[in-house]
Amino acid sequence: MTARGARKGPAAMRLSQQPGEVIDRTRELRFSWNGREYPAYQGDTIISALAAAGERVFSRSLKYHRPRGLLTATFHDPGCMVQVGDEPNVRGAHRLVSDGMQVCSQNTWPSLRFDAKSVNRLAGRFLTAGFYYKTFMRPRSLWPAYEAVLRRFVNAGSVSPDTAPGRPEKRYAHPDVLVAGGGPAGMAAAVAAARAGARVLLVEEDHKLGGHLRWGGEADLAVLGGLAAQVAAEPDIEVLTNAVVLGRYDGNWIAVLDRGADAAGPGTGTVRTGAAAERLVKARAKTLVVAPGLIERPYVFEGNDLPGVMLSTAVRRLISLYAVKPGARAVVLSANADGDAAVADLKRAGVDVVRVEDARLGGDVVAAAGRGGLRAVEVADGTRISCDLLVTAVGWTAPTALLNAAGDRPVYSAHAARFLPDPARLPEDVLVTGGIAGDGGIDELTEHATATGAEAARRAGRIGRARALACPATRRAALACPATRRAAPGDSAGAEPIAIPDLPVNPHPEMFAGRTHGMVDFSEDVSSKDLVGAVAEGYDSVELAKRYTTATMGPLQGKLETVNAAAIVATATGCSIAETGTTTWRPPYAPVTLGALAGQVHEPVRYSPMQPWHEAHGAAPLVAGAWIRPDSYGDPAAEARNVRERVGIIDVTPIGKLDLRGPDVPRLLNLLYVNKWSKLGIGRVRYGVMCAEDGVVLDDGVTGRLGEEHYLMSTTSSGAATVWEWAENWLQTEHPDWRVHVTPVTTAYASINVAGPQSRRLIERVTEGVDITNEAFPYMHVRTGSIAGVEASVLWRIGFTGELSYELHVPAGYGLHVWETLLDRGADLGVAPFGVEAQRILRLEKGHLIVGQDTDGLTRAFSAGLDWAVKLDKDDFAGQPELAWQLAAGVGERLVGVQPADGSVLPAEASQIIEGGRIAGRITSSRMSPALGRSVCLALVDARLAEPGTVLTVLLPSGQQIEALVMPQLAHVDPDGGRMRV
Amino acid sequence: MILLPCAWCGPRDAAEFQHVGELVARPDPRTASQQQWRVYLYLRANRRDWTVETWYHRMGCRRYIQVERHTETNEVRHAGTSGVTGAAGVTGTAESAGPPGAASPAGPAGSAG
Amino acid sequence: MQASANGHRPGRLRARYPARYSAFGLLRHGLTDQDWPPAWRPRPMKASYDVVIIGGGVHGLAAAYYLAANHGITDVAVLDKGYLGSGGSGRNTAILRSNYLTPEGVRFYDRSIKLYQRLAASLDFNVMFSQRGHLTLAHSDASLRTMRWRAEVNKFEGVDSEVIGAAEVKRLVPFLDVSPAARYPVLGALWHPPGGIIRHDAVVWGYARGAAARGVHLHQNTEVTGIDVAGQKVRGVRTSQGDIATRVVLNATAGWCTLISDMAGVPLPVQTFPLQAAVTEPVKPFLSTVIVSGTLHVYVSQTDRGELVFGASVDPFTSYSMRGSLEFIEGLAGHVLELMPALTKVRVLRQWAGLCDMTPDFSPIMGSTPVDGFLTDVGWGTYGFKAGPVSGEAMAECIASGRTPEIIAAFGLDRFASGALVGEKGAAAVGH
Repeated sequence: MTARGARKGPAAMRLSQQPGEVIDRTRELRFSWNGREYPAYQGDTIISALAAAGERVFSRSLKYHRPRGLLTATFHDPGCMVQVGDEPNVRGAHRLVSDGMQVCSQNTWPSLRFDAKSVNRLAGRFLTAGFYYKTFMRPRSLWPAYEAVLRRFVNAGSVSPDTAPGRPEKRYAHPDVLVAGGGPAGMAAAVAAARAGARVLLVEEDHKLGGHLRWGGEADLAVLGGLAAQVAAEPDIEVLTNAVVLGRYDGNWIAVLDRGADAAGPGTGTVRTGAAAERLVKARAKTLVVAPGLIERPYVFEGNDLPGVMLSTAVRRLISLYAVKPGARAVVLSANADGDAAVADLKRAGVDVVRVEDARLGGDVVAAAGRGGLRAVEVADGTRISCDLLVTAVGWTAPTALLNAAGDRPVYSAHAARFLPDPARLPEDVLVTGGIAGDGGIDELTEHATATGAEAARRAGRIGRARALACPATRRAALACPATRRAAPGDSAGAEPIAIPDLPVNPHPEMFAGRTHGMVDFSEDVSSKDLVGAVAEGYDSVELAKRYTTATMGPLQGKLETVNAAAIVATATGCSIAETGTTTWRPPYAPVTLGALAGQVHEPVRYSPMQPWHEAHGAAPLVAGAWIRPDSYGDPAAEARNVRERVGIIDVTPIGKLDLRGPDVPRLLNLLYVNKWSKLGIGRVRYGVMCAEDGVVLDDGVTGRLGEEHYLMSTTSSGAATVWEWAENWLQTEHPDWRVHVTPVTTAYASINVAGPQSRRLIERVTEGVDITNEAFPYMHVRTGSIAGVEASVLWRIGFTGELSYELHVPAGYGLHVWETLLDRGADLGVAPFGVEAQRILRLEKGHLIVGQDTDGLTRAFSAGLDWAVKLDKDDFAGQPELAWQLAAGVGERLVGVQPADGSVLPAEASQIIEGGRIAGRITSSRMSPALGRSVCLALVDARLAEPGTVLTVLLPSGQQIEALVMPQLAHVDPDGGRMRV
Repeated sequence: MILLPCAWCGPRDAAEFQHVGELVARPDPRTASQQQWRVYLYLRANRRDWTVETWYHRMGCRRYIQVERHTETNEVRHAGTSGVTGAAGVTGTAESAGPPGAASPAGPAGSAG
Repeated sequence: MQASANGHRPGRLRARYPARYSAFGLLRHGLTDQDWPPAWRPRPMKASYDVVIIGGGVHGLAAAYYLAANHGITDVAVLDKGYLGSGGSGRNTAILRSNYLTPEGVRFYDRSIKLYQRLAASLDFNVMFSQRGHLTLAHSDASLRTMRWRAEVNKFEGVDSEVIGAAEVKRLVPFLDVSPAARYPVLGALWHPPGGIIRHDAVVWGYARGAAARGVHLHQNTEVTGIDVAGQKVRGVRTSQGDIATRVVLNATAGWCTLISDMAGVPLPVQTFPLQAAVTEPVKPFLSTVIVSGTLHVYVSQTDRGELVFGASVDPFTSYSMRGSLEFIEGLAGHVLELMPALTKVRVLRQWAGLCDMTPDFSPIMGSTPVDGFLTDVGWGTYGFKAGPVSGEAMAECIASGRTPEIIAAFGLDRFASGALVGEKGAAAVGH
């Protein structure tokens, strides 16, 4: 039989029943791989099923398109990334097969077996890492073409525009103790914590709890059974399998990715599979126990990425979990007990182990050779052995990401040939146990984990209590009621820290790179030669070498390559690994879909009680921040004309409204507004402008006095929340002695503006308890009364549109009723609704500015034509000193009314005003005026150009220049404002 | 995010709050020079150290709280409703400590859409 | 056959430094299996330099390069407390554009773009500037109006920008959801063809190599612990590797700038906020422009390796932490999927943060300070990398001539005392 291989065929490499196997031989599935059908058992991963059928090549590498196969048989296996349906980059050695699954290899053409881009391999010596920095620079015009070629070589799956968006819900969890890792240490810690009274969340990345016990043999399986029973017996332990801790953020805010229940699990109800199954669990844990075990490291030598070269973990998992024979004829390089155990497993599985190189006795592998797969291995003594399987067991990497995030700086131990956590640097709320913390037999590890779990529970109790005591609101409750559950953690005799025994750290040979150059980062096709070359070129720290070669920046996120890369850089720079350090571990620990991270959409929409009426009557929706408003009902110019000639009604519910009560309200108004408010009589209304402390216009609106100590303030709709917070800030931090209560009532009231010459007649018909005559209810006054039968409504006369108008504020639940009543009672008066666009036209005709459109982030009050409003002789008010200085220094720019010389030309808003080859201003608002039959504008211009009669040059977007005249005032229609006061 | 000890609500996620800024003493606008006023508007200590600052519990009790936080580790110690703990560079009591971030209440991201 | 590479043969160091990079060079080095000579060599730190630049990112290195290349000033040291480009230069999302709001801003960033266009050739280092176009989406009338404002100012200054409608946006980016049913429908966009992305590390390395070749000393892992000022004049700096006497110090430390500036007794109106970013696994190229949405606070581009790179606005509170937060990545994912729902199965691979030195008017602080000899090139907020070349060029001129060049005249530190702030708030609202 040739070393090349194994027989192929549906069960070609399947073994007989293994104790501890996870496949269910009674349930057969079928799936397709690159168009061919293959069988599988329930519980198989895609790769285990293919391996059982004798397949060895699953992908092609990024740059050189080298054939790749199984390396680790875990989630983090670089050669096993496949595409499932429309889901790219699936980890084939972790994803369970489901019936009918369509799987194909990524980025291989014309086929996986013969990939045309593998011609890259020949060019490999020229295409070292970073080669693109040294070429493609000239001629510059060809760079886009070079780029297009580079992009063709992207080795990845594809996205489809038809993928349906998934919006899974997220979950919040509040465990006392979160245990990251469900191997024996994690399980023991979880049990101990639960027994001490803690609520525990136990998270395990693989499909089942148990970690390495699952493929450890009969004795290990027995221990596993015992631990699993203990876990199951604790009701306060929640177990999440096929879930992984993505990151530990400040304050033990922990993100867990739940990849969904096994497709295999019976009785799981609806089965979510694949990317659609991912769900985020966000946990605020009081303490975190980090027990992720260790990740086996590949060895660096020539040919180490050939299909057929595997780690000891891979072969043991294949044999014990999936009953798959990894090869026919094997060479093993072993530096530790796991390698030795792999030899035993291989023999048990009927593999011909032709040579074992014991690294502890000087054994080594020099190079592996083969085309398309492993065929021969050269060992230390020069012998060349033909084989189809090479197993390496050269050491372990500590996955310290969570510890690093918590502030730990793991220390390299040459004795153990790996990084170890530094307990001294861990914060109080993070503990560590298991293989990552030290070595030892199962008893020692369990003892350590048990103590750790108990201590984690104790600290959780203390932390929870300390948090509660820190806040006045929760302090009393915490003091009064210390125990809410059985044996609350940290309470009784748990005041003393629980002693955690030390774990031994066993010696391990340092074996990172062999005598020949090989792959370091399998996903990125970065070899040790690349790293050495980078160092020689001056990229001589691990960070620079990483960025230059892109090592550790691939889909494996550094798990298999970080330490090897550090070791190689260390050797090349002549430093120790400890001095060199590793690159920074960054979250997420495992890749997570955008869908899972996004979860459901929480973008609330706000609309008034009348919005359904608007839409039913053909109103085009306008998105205004969180609000949806009616833009127009079809013809904004006609709507505007109707207001000027008859009467129109507009829904202005989004206007910000604040209810102000107390004896000190005038002091607040004087502080917030630039004008004077001490003498506002009951029933009067005043327009006000607010500035920030740098004098920039912040907001504007009207405020009316409803009673002795009762005022109603209105703001712009986009400023509603800002102004409320602004007021609260002043009251709470600067003037806590003032007696003012502020209540936001923006959504408590539905607001309708009734405008036009006929508005008084309409209002008369629907109002009770208010004398509507002009003498009794003049312009800029406010009344309360009953509108359309609705009590406690507010009515004030203001004039944003420039016509006789009334603004009604009615309790929101009655909004639609009042709206419909107005339309009904005013039919003969010609009442019609008008939308936001018509309102914009009307206000522009009247020269009323819109904050944020006619002003910007630098427009101070004097620039906005608000001179009349600013009362510098007041006491302290927001913006005062800057406004005084602006007045003294001369205003830089001014807001002016502008009319294009040719009234039929409508300049786009933001058209620039130019003078002397420079930009001297811009058009801020621009509309065709139905009243005047011509275009009207507002503009911000340099003060020098603001004199009435100045001819401005406006540059239209088309490039054409037109002339426009500065008007004597901002209002284009009825500049004296007589129409509002009738 | 980190937990902030709201005086009224207990320990809550910082995402519920708006960060207002370092506590700075507000000069008397009637007597401050341009220099002093603009220092108040624009200059902040920006230390990599413990800092006393104001947060606003926007999605909670709507009260302003003062917190002492280390700007590198984001640890929080001392929280209160008013008063200043005398951290370096900051003086005064609630009466003279004006609304921080007073230059523009909307914060660095600019005005709302 | 596999390319053989048995063992590592250190090659002969070439006499010429730096080596010229070219395809021919690749061929020769590949055939002879020789090492490339170093891009820069470590130098012993001297007791004094004419100019000390604190900050080994793109701004500091560009200033050093132009001091040497344009002005013949080579007795220069660049100090960095970490490795070259370990600050913002190594953490940004590498977006370049010049579609700013103010005329002075547009002129400034346009100069930068022009320098970037020639940079690969001038530095003999491929920085991979891909001018693939930049789209800023508008989701409201107000936003569209701001886009129009930017387009008009850009065109007036000779920069290519124009406002386009939703249909044309869809044509440029088929994966984008421009339907009216979206929560914040796309109404149009500012289309800016000269914008694009670049390999940010390569820019740092290119400048470092160019500066080093001209005699500049680069000192990594050298932290400044104090600045000696006597009589309002700079005398020297103290570092973790020793003291240096000098008369000219340039502060190019971005997020850490107030810590350095305080050492010289010059307070700066800067607050440091983290800015986070994230990258996904590679997927087959489908996005050929840069997309920004101000309303959704998100920007997206796709590298030549197929990865999607995302960013958003600065964190909501000041901090010197570069740890990243969960809220950022969740919010970002939500907004990205609102724009391109079909990306729901694409996986995020890592997230990180850098520090942004934010100023009250979203514009930098460049030029001299009240301390003679102490200059600043800070206040770069979320837009610093774009300005690397033009800032280096301008600061080099500032140092060499002793006068503030016209192109940075609006960015002086004294504008805060005089109240003449720059109006870039609109354009910089979400960074890129």
